[in-house]
Amino acid sequence: MLPETVMTYLHDAARQSRTALPDRNTSLFAAGVLDSFSLVDFVTLLESECGIRVADAELRPENFDTIARVEAFIERARMN
Amino acid sequence: MSCYITGCGAALPARIVTNEELAPQLGVTPEWIEAKSGIRERRWAEAHESASELAAIAVREALNDAGARAGQIDYLIGGTLSPDYQVPGIAPLVQRTLAGCGNVPAVDLRVGCCAILYSLQIARALIESHAARHIVCFGAEAQSKGLELNERSAELSMLFGDGAGAVMVSHQPHNSANDFALRVDDVLIATDGNFAEDLGVRAPGSGNGARWLDTGQMEAGLHRPAMNGRSVILHAVRKLSEAAAAITTRNEINCAQIDLVIPHQANANLLRSLSAQLRIPDERIVSNVARYGNTSGASAFLALTQAKREGRLRPGARILFLAFGAGFTWGAALGQVINLPSGC
Repeated sequence: MLPETVMTYLHDAARQSRTALPDRNTSLFAAGVLDSFSLVDFVTLLESECGIRVADAELRPENFDTIARVEAFIERARMN
Repeated sequence: MSCYITGCGAALPARIVTNEELAPQLGVTPEWIEAKSGIRERRWAEAHESASELAAIAVREALNDAGARAGQIDYLIGGTLSPDYQVPGIAPLVQRTLAGCGNVPAVDLRVGCCAILYSLQIARALIESHAARHIVCFGAEAQSKGLELNERSAELSMLFGDGAGAVMVSHQPHNSANDFALRVDDVLIATDGNFAEDLGVRAPGSGNGARWLDTGQMEAGLHRPAMNGRSVILHAVRKLSEAAAAITTRNEINCAQIDLVIPHQANANLLRSLSAQLRIPDERIVSNVARYGNTSGASAFLALTQAKREGRLRPGARILFLAFGAGFTWGAALGQVINLPSGC
């Protein structure tokens, strides 16, 4: 589960893009919730709210494409 | 030992391509382009204009600005993503057009949008090692000639503009015709080749199979600029922020003491993200992206020339250059406009 602040960010982003937050396995980019520019803010938020540091090698858009992938990424990052 | 930028110059094609003209070809609206990039128009080269021709104009202007002659040049360093030919490089083509320029070394750097930083680093090293005293560095692009104009390529093709910029770098500040000299105090450059395929032009090239260019590669669009925009901006914002922090820290200053940032003009949204990350107000970041688009290897040279023309390079001003490009390559340079005694 992602922290409430992260989910609030995604809900707000979806609202601003006049779309609905997609299910956990559907692309946030394709749904228009995230784009290149909001992705920077989103990753910064994940780092601060989840207590992780995204390594350079992991700084790849596909890690943040769906809610399920973000959750899996956070779990991996916390274990490392 | 320091080196000094004693003059700068710029060249832009006359043809203005507005969002209104471009948007229908990309299947988007003019407003969409501006919202995504901050770009309202860009310059595109005509069929008869090449990157080297634009570069030569910018170099001549930089020489004039510095009060120097082509015969004084000891070294030419050029950066481009859109050379006239695959081989030879663009620098020899510029060298041959400069009347009075000797048979000096003329080399290309293939570092994308970081041309200004890599060329300044090399120029500084050449001057410090006494291998050269006067070096011309330039960046030039005619990228529009490689763009695909359809809906699939909208996010990339909306960005790029053509142009060239140049600087004269000298071992001393005294040859400036306009009492201008920007001392280059430090240059920090870096590379992470793990993301090489996220930004670039892959063909012609020996990494694409049996032939360095064939119809299959062309059908796949490997001969056109390609960019993973999400990856580029993620890394660009992080690396540029880190580079700014590193270069200011090792020179014992902080970002609040920077008077002017001259960044690569990727797009307005990236510049805004950078402004927020560095906590440097927008008005201290030189931007021409709305009028010229992303001019890749030329962009920071153009922004520097613009800042000088606008009188923003005041004596004492601390200047921070930032650039990020294909490779990935990135970095920062720190300089200061110096006070020249009258008559120098």
